Amino acid sequence: MNIPSVDSEQLLNIGYDACAASCGNFMVLDHTILDIESRYQGLKVMPLAKAFDVYPHIREKLFFGIVDKDKNEYTRMSYNSEPVGYYIRVEEGVKIEEPLQAAFLFGEQGSTQLIHNIIELCDGAEINIVNGCTTATHHSQGTHVGITETYLGKNSSLGFTMLHNWGNTVEVFPVGAILVGENARYISNYVAMTAVKKIVSYPVAHVKQGGSARFFSIIFAKKGSYFDSGAKALLEGAGANGEIIGRVVSDGGTVISRQMLSGNEPGTVGHMECSGLLLNENGVIHSIPELRGAHPDINLSHEAAVGKISTEELSYLMTRGLTEEQARSLIIRGFLDIKIEGLPAKVQALVDEVIERSIAGSI
Amino acid sequence: MGFLEIKDLHVSVAGKEIIKGIDLTLERGKTAVIFGPNGSGKSTLLGTIAGLPGYEITQGTILFKGQDLGTLSIDEISRLGIGISYQYPPAIKGVKLQTLLQNINNNPEGIASWSKALNLTDFLQRDINVGFSGGERKRSEILQLLLQNPDLMLFDEPESGVDIENISVIANVVKTMLEKEKPISQRTRSSIIITHTGFILDYVKADIAYVIMDGHVRGCGSPGEIFEEIKLHGYEKCASCFAEQFQGIKTGDER
Repeated sequence: MNIPSVDSEQLLNIGYDACAASCGNFMVLDHTILDIESRYQGLKVMPLAKAFDVYPHIREKLFFGIVDKDKNEYTRMSYNSEPVGYYIRVEEGVKIEEPLQAAFLFGEQGSTQLIHNIIELCDGAEINIVNGCTTATHHSQGTHVGITETYLGKNSSLGFTMLHNWGNTVEVFPVGAILVGENARYISNYVAMTAVKKIVSYPVAHVKQGGSARFFSIIFAKKGSYFDSGAKALLEGAGANGEIIGRVVSDGGTVISRQMLSGNEPGTVGHMECSGLLLNENGVIHSIPELRGAHPDINLSHEAAVGKISTEELSYLMTRGLTEEQARSLIIRGFLDIKIEGLPAKVQALVDEVIERSIAGSI
Repeated sequence: MGFLEIKDLHVSVAGKEIIKGIDLTLERGKTAVIFGPNGSGKSTLLGTIAGLPGYEITQGTILFKGQDLGTLSIDEISRLGIGISYQYPPAIKGVKLQTLLQNINNNPEGIASWSKALNLTDFLQRDINVGFSGGERKRSEILQLLLQNPDLMLFDEPESGVDIENISVIANVVKTMLEKEKPISQRTRSSIIITHTGFILDYVKADIAYVIMDGHVRGCGSPGEIFEEIKLHGYEKCASCFAEQFQGIKTGDER
């Protein structure tokens, strides 16, 4: 796809290819929607502002329904602005195999991009959404705020993959909240492999009876990058379950990894892990796991480890003839390799490709 | 110029001297077996030849094809033609065995056929050594060496933790790697094998045996005779007879 003022390389870095088979597309540059399309019956993709007119319940119930408009200055700013972003709706029982691709491009120098998205899956609906966020060129600077409110009906399933490819002059404040309905399934897959000035992100899932929320994140923090990132799963219904898995590599950047699981009802099960790899002495990985149990019949656990590349593993590979750089690269690739159960092969391949592209030039 | 020449080698690990003056030579195409009690310095010797970290050469030299290995990095030693089969190889999460093999030698036919020969086809997409049994690890080590195709192979107890059936699988592949089917004069690959049980010697004939005790070579000679002595009398009682044998014998009869 060729868009003036957008570096095509940047689109590749977030896996966006409008020509590839997908059920729909959405692309916004700064505050202008460039591309919006649904190619599947039962799938609606429209600008959020327009959706307010078509579906009155959005403004009444869903818009700032699970995100507090007074959470911070950006949410207040967003609440008082004309919303720019998508409304994605999958009708009851509609199951879509091909992923929907969305791209959020930031180009206007020194500005603040405010995005507000709402995703609504009706009962029994299924879809995978790949969100890519990037600067339009390598030189863009400013602030990106992305609010995403997700509502999953009973027995529905959403795979939500977020690929971040920012620059070291951009500050990013995603605000995410997910309502996981009864027996619904939510899988979040977050990948950030490039330098960024600052990212603060802490999505919260409210998981109802029998539902599940699983968060997977892969962060490669380059020198000067600052991440305050994580996820919270509030297991609010009986038998709800949550999983939060993080892999963090610091190549001189700072990562605060926050994870929280809270079990309030009988039969809730949750597990979280954060594994951190420090490539040099300049980086910091600060893992903050939290477990909160409010019922005796729950099972919550966590594990965390932060360390360097094992000398034994490194030398093992080098005895096979690999140089130290090759061996380190192989170990880091392996460390970041999370195969996510339930993620379609096509989306997994896309994630793998984005990681490979990013890692190839950085190790 | 010798193939492998170790002269007056002293090696310390964490400040403690483990190898206390070893001389050992190996010609191209020959197989040496090393016997010795636990903690005598056998694995330290192989690790030092391979250049592994933690083994500090405090005195002496290891020359391989005329080059001083003490001046080379691990990967340079590897590319010079030395490969090692670990006694306890590490598990590496996330790195597929096939990915490593492709990095060693991107030879799809070789990977397919050798992994089949070693019953490892189903392991190619698994993380290296993660959840592998003892025998699977050892077969994986041999598979990696096959792809690496070194001139000098170091085997650190290749049969330990391996059941009888798998010992024959491993040993027969090792035998092929060492060109044992060829006349002695035509063999080009050499190896040093550490063994406690001696099982592998039933398949792979060694040319010479060294006995290492307390960081010294206490004897060398015929692998078969020395192993029989050890089985009959143990290391300590045999120390004196080894010393008598160790009178400049450089090549022994095949067992």
